[in-house]
Amino acid sequence: MNTGVSLLVGALIVGLMGCATTNQKYDWGKYDASLYSYYKDPSKEGELSASLAAVINNSKGAKVPPGIYAEYGYLQLQQGKNQEAVASFKQEAAHWPESKVFMAQMIKVASESAPATATHGSSQ
Amino acid sequence: MIKLSNFPVIIAVLALCGCASPPAKPDYTQFRSEGPRSIVVVPVINKSVDVNAPDYFLATIAHPLAERGYYVFPVNMVKSVMADDGLSDANLVHSGDPRRLGELFGSDAIMYISIERWNAKYIVLSTSVTVELTYTLKSGHTGQELWKNHQTIVYTPQGNSNGLAGLIADAVAAAITKASPNYIPLANQANAQAINLKGTGLPAGPYDGMFGKDAAAF
Repeated sequence: MNTGVSLLVGALIVGLMGCATTNQKYDWGKYDASLYSYYKDPSKEGELSASLAAVINNSKGAKVPPGIYAEYGYLQLQQGKNQEAVASFKQEAAHWPESKVFMAQMIKVASESAPATATHGSSQ
Repeated sequence: MIKLSNFPVIIAVLALCGCASPPAKPDYTQFRSEGPRSIVVVPVINKSVDVNAPDYFLATIAHPLAERGYYVFPVNMVKSVMADDGLSDANLVHSGDPRRLGELFGSDAIMYISIERWNAKYIVLSTSVTVELTYTLKSGHTGQELWKNHQTIVYTPQGNSNGLAGLIADAVAAAITKASPNYIPLANQANAQAINLKGTGLPAGPYDGMFGKDAAAF
């Protein structure tokens, strides 16, 4: 075996060992990539929102990763969709009891600053 | 998490740099006595000249922590809410009382991350890309330090490499340095090594089957 091949084999073994503990618990979809793109270009908020919605919709009974409902709800809140935001925050709290304190505060914020509910999302 | 597409990079990084020699076995006594279930990642200190590094890094951190079995607070929402509350200055937040943050979010633990280096050095024949990070987990209940880790990932393609490994490394080098360097694979690798390595990483969280059963490894 020449040195090039043995180097590669060695590298592969090291690489695989590094991955041994990384079996996926959740389906994250394009969350990482879309958050990165959003930070690179804030005009891509719509794509981030769509990728979060996709993670939620694709879960099909499996557990949605921690924070995803809340992130989605926060974008809804920023768009003035306060009722939808509250619903998302409630989902986060229901799925992840660790989030209850924070979600309760956010639900309060979203409820108190709610625009006229019939016209949420409309221009001001 | 390690994406399949990052594999060549990881292999190249490990092959070229090797793993940093592990530090002395950390003390997990405080960690074990508290058994944190949730982690909030607060604004990241940036010691690099790349003003965007903290945001880009933030896009890499929730995933590996959650996959380790922890509840991770929504990183982008936390960042925005803290900014709205006048808590966007990472240096101030890091020097503050972890118990206040623990109370604010209802979080068992606070993750403080500092970007020590996030840069690319252009040398005549090749480019060297470095990501260096310090991770400190503190208790939201007692304020005590629960865990600390430090990672330096350097990617240096070798100009005179040959053979199959060399070809792969060169291809990765071209991808990683074309236009502007992509630090994300290096940040992912740093996170994976910090969080997942037995003996020095984070013990399994409550949503991992090994929660409370991995005392031999940590």
